Amino acid sequence: MNTEERQLAEMLHRVTPEPPRGVTVEDIAFRLANEAGSRAPRGGHREPRPRRRPARGSRGPSRRGRGGAGRGWAPVLAAASVVVVAGASAGIATALSSHHSPAGSSQDGMPTSSASVSSPPASTTPTSPSTSNGATWPPEQVADGMWGAELINRQTFTQASLVAGNGSLYAFSPGFLDRISPVTGNGLAHVPYNSPIAGFPNRPVLTGNTVWVLSSYAGSSVVLAGYNGSTLASAGTISVPVSGQVASAPEGVLTSGSDGYLYVAAGSAIAVVNPQTRQVIRQIPVSGTVSSVAVAPGGSKVYAGTGAFQLTAYDPATGARLGSSAVSGIGSFGGNLVATPGGVWGTMGIGMSEWVWFAPNGNLSRVVRVSQGPGAGLDSVPSYSGGVVWIGGSQELACVNPATGQKMVAAVIPTDNGIGEYFGNITVAGGRTYALFQNQAAQQSGVATLTPPGGCSG
Amino acid sequence: MDGRPSEPDGFRDFVEARSNSLLRSGWLLTGDWPSAEDLVQTALAAAWPRWATLTRQDAPEFYVRKIMVNTFLRWRQRRWTGEIATARLPELQAYGDAFAQIDARQALLAALDRLPARQRAVVVLRYFADQTEAQTAEAMGCSVGAVKAHASKALARLRDAPGLAELMTGGVAS
Repeated sequence: MNTEERQLAEMLHRVTPEPPRGVTVEDIAFRLANEAGSRAPRGGHREPRPRRRPARGSRGPSRRGRGGAGRGWAPVLAAASVVVVAGASAGIATALSSHHSPAGSSQDGMPTSSASVSSPPASTTPTSPSTSNGATWPPEQVADGMWGAELINRQTFTQASLVAGNGSLYAFSPGFLDRISPVTGNGLAHVPYNSPIAGFPNRPVLTGNTVWVLSSYAGSSVVLAGYNGSTLASAGTISVPVSGQVASAPEGVLTSGSDGYLYVAAGSAIAVVNPQTRQVIRQIPVSGTVSSVAVAPGGSKVYAGTGAFQLTAYDPATGARLGSSAVSGIGSFGGNLVATPGGVWGTMGIGMSEWVWFAPNGNLSRVVRVSQGPGAGLDSVPSYSGGVVWIGGSQELACVNPATGQKMVAAVIPTDNGIGEYFGNITVAGGRTYALFQNQAAQQSGVATLTPPGGCSG
Repeated sequence: MDGRPSEPDGFRDFVEARSNSLLRSGWLLTGDWPSAEDLVQTALAAAWPRWATLTRQDAPEFYVRKIMVNTFLRWRQRRWTGEIATARLPELQAYGDAFAQIDARQALLAALDRLPARQRAVVVLRYFADQTEAQTAEAMGCSVGAVKAHASKALARLRDAPGLAELMTGGVAS
């Protein structure tokens, strides 16, 4: 070996991490027994199971391969995850929506920007909703599932798309926006919908009885589409002016505040939209292209994530810049912002190495890593629900103190045939706790209800 | 009886001693832990029935790695019709940064993703598994000359990968 080859070898040994868990003889024996039982029809070759999430920008059709429509359980390494949701994640949307109705018109003296109302939504094909998708499922205990996990729905939903509100769960399934009963898990209504951010859709956002989704989000075009929260009938669209170009790697660009307004990352600005009047009432200029946005629970601050990675707080009422902090050398990606009373949460990194961070008071100079390792990223985008921050994934499900970032209770997520199951996107609604669930080994997925231990009580 | 075959002598010791190293190779090949686990389990399951023969040849790890690489190449062949260049690459971290480890891994995976499957396999076998060119050639079913060519092209590509040169000449401790 020459010097360069030795340096490469040394670097490979140094940088390659230790695996999170080993392979055991029992894993192999179990696999052999299973393959013996199913070999004949398939010819014995076992394809790798689908990746839940490809590394961003590394492989797959695009960094947004996750959760794309129609992939089902096809074992396509390239395809990202079809995650299959369930429960509902509150995250920004659930936690921050719904307290007050927005004002009927611009009320702060700020000029309203151009906005238009029209229908049907641009990226959705026929908008006629169906009152039920006809699917029903009897509840079923998740084998070895922690916290009394019980499946109430076995539908395939798009990862990180579930929210709760108005006594319903809402999520994207391939090609549709769905309304789901949180009691029975049954599909109540659905309407054709395809996210403009393929594979990485923004969660639906609820204001009043309207569900808002991104209809267009590319270049200088941002269009929001609204649907009636009960029937999913089209409630029109809102065209949002963009300052420059929207982020090429958006991660959570539509949310709502306790003021009932919608907050949209619109290029180098945050657009504040009154969903009742369909008017853009304010544009908050931001230094840099906004890739993620979150609003503090009390509505006193709106946070913008830009670059790699800067977090800036603004006064949503005046647009004044309140403070900014950055983390250098952290990689190119940061997003999925969630604001809690104690600070701001988000994800950083790519692929299976994505991890969750917490910045006390939104100050990135004090950022702490809350989770790391496989499944700690988008698969476990933090959600703030029931007064607690929840972080799931394929390794550990934890409830975390929203003020300090300290884990209060954590449970190991079980494995099936050596393959880690997935619990994520936790949300609390109507006194019940829901999670997205996926068991790739058993090709089982759906909405699971959980009974978290008392230590998780916020 | 659950249908499981009886455990070969020495298999457990091998798995316990070498699974971490095999998994790390799998991670370098596939880029994520679930796929790495799948790859290692596939190779060990294939080696299980032939374990006695492999141990008599005194090179079970070589053959397990051979199975891993060929399984990886088969997967890639079936799933990928071409390499897809990385759309965005992580920026380089400052040395000693608290988050540098994970960024270094991201930079490494992004660089490896630039390589065609066979070049990537050569890199893992030659420079991580420390196999000789002859062993690598045997494992991949090609000539030593082909291994040299793959290695040379891989090094050239890695040389241009953002952040990798810095990692190779210093970088971040794991």
